[in-house]
Amino acid sequence: MQDFDIKTNDKPTGDEVLNNRIEISNISKSYLSSNGVVSKVLNSVNFEIARSEFVSLLGPSGCGKTTLLKIISGLIAPDSGEVKIEGSSPANSRRDKSIGYMSQDPALIPWRTVYENVRLPAEVNKAFTNENYRTVEELVSLVGLDGFESHYPYQLSGGMRQRVSLARALSINPKVLLMDEPFGALDEITREAMRYELLNLWNKTKPTVLFVTHNSTEAVLLSDRVVVMPKTSDGVITNINVPLDRPRSEKIEFTSSFIQLINQVRNSYKCQPN
Amino acid sequence: MSAQLISMIKQAYYWIGPPVIVFLLVFAVWEISVRLSEIEDYLLPAPSAIITEVLTNISDYAFNTIVTIGEAIGGFVLGSIFAIIGASIMYQSRFLERGLLPVAILIKVTPIIAIAPLFVIWFGFGLLPKILIAAIITFFPVLVNCLSGMRATSSDITDLLKSLNASKSEIMIKASFPNSYPYLFASFKIAIPLAVIGAVVAEWFSGDRGLGSMIIRANNNLDMPQLFGAVFVLALMGVVLTSLVIYIEKRVLFWHDSQKVENEIW
Repeated sequence: MQDFDIKTNDKPTGDEVLNNRIEISNISKSYLSSNGVVSKVLNSVNFEIARSEFVSLLGPSGCGKTTLLKIISGLIAPDSGEVKIEGSSPANSRRDKSIGYMSQDPALIPWRTVYENVRLPAEVNKAFTNENYRTVEELVSLVGLDGFESHYPYQLSGGMRQRVSLARALSINPKVLLMDEPFGALDEITREAMRYELLNLWNKTKPTVLFVTHNSTEAVLLSDRVVVMPKTSDGVITNINVPLDRPRSEKIEFTSSFIQLINQVRNSYKCQPN
Repeated sequence: MSAQLISMIKQAYYWIGPPVIVFLLVFAVWEISVRLSEIEDYLLPAPSAIITEVLTNISDYAFNTIVTIGEAIGGFVLGSIFAIIGASIMYQSRFLERGLLPVAILIKVTPIIAIAPLFVIWFGFGLLPKILIAAIITFFPVLVNCLSGMRATSSDITDLLKSLNASKSEIMIKASFPNSYPYLFASFKIAIPLAVIGAVVAEWFSGDRGLGSMIIRANNNLDMPQLFGAVFVLALMGVVLTSLVIYIEKRVLFWHDSQKVENEIW
């Protein structure tokens, strides 16, 4: 495998810090259900993500993780509040193609080969396609799929499909990579392997990541910080820093600090009022 | 014999074998029953009489077949093009879908038999009214299937494209329209025989060309072998056209679940 440019800068100054991070300020969102009841999903959510930080968003299902991700990517509008991705709004970030999106379903286009699927983001919204993009060859080898370029999705295993999806999300060199339970549909063995592959890949390319999961081990293993969402929108968001050394390997899972962190994360969502 | 040739013969037998056996049995029973019961030719001709009739007037049948097949395919293509354009417009706007779908249903529920004479008055005795009737009969199934297929595009894929700010037409070209291919081919398989029926019905009302006119003439003359001959050729035409659609479908939809069972058998 080749080495890739690490996109982190030297020590940023004050202004650069502001422009180098993702700010989620006072985001609220309610849905009107079919029986006329308004259910508040997000209530004044606030947090920030620094450039090249890996943040996991953890919480029970139905707590609004996916909604928040869709608000950050500009797919749905919040009722109030603001999202800034390195200084620009979600709408502008979408226009500049600076958001990488990966869902639980690999969402590959079945009539396109691996190569054509990875190339898809460059083919749409062409006004904002630039030479800063990684080449398809580079991406395919980055996710370890050399030789599979001309395969169709139906010829790949679940884990391989998800790797293609990751390569596609990275192809535009996004300012933020939004991952919505990307390994949720994989079997346990593949999922464990994929976690370390993602860690390895993150070490090489250092993208800013917001990773939604409801697995506390996964959150601690991957992240610099775990953001625990409350069960109901009245609860408070807990930030837990993960000061574990990188690069991380399997050995880390047996250290006491790792286990302590997992317990800390677990306790933070167990203590939430119902 | 090479393995490839054996495999080809096997494959040919796999597709052609069962229908050939069934048809041979039906014809045999028919032939024997007609001979044993001594039914007159003008009531029910034996298969041998029909085949003799078709072979002796082969140039007549060939010419009329070409006319009818041309009308049916012309109408099918025209109807499909309008249906796909209509579905694309409806896909872009729910407002237009609500507005246009009742019109499409109106076209669908109007009996072809009722409007065929009108079309003769409007468009004359040539090919045009036949093509138009075949087109009208094709339009609705293709429209409805194409629209359903586009609407069935995975929301994960459309969300991904939206997160890249892809335009509505880009989403349609890259994802929704190809996603409707399996639905489109299903509708083509329904529409192709319907287009043949449309062309034949239109021929009953005007003109002297085509298998439909041949049927009317034979009926008036009580020429049962000719009537059955024309019906046979029509049936054969329907089978060939539908098989052609299935053949193209297998090529285009290699990626789709519906095509996988056959791959596993071989």
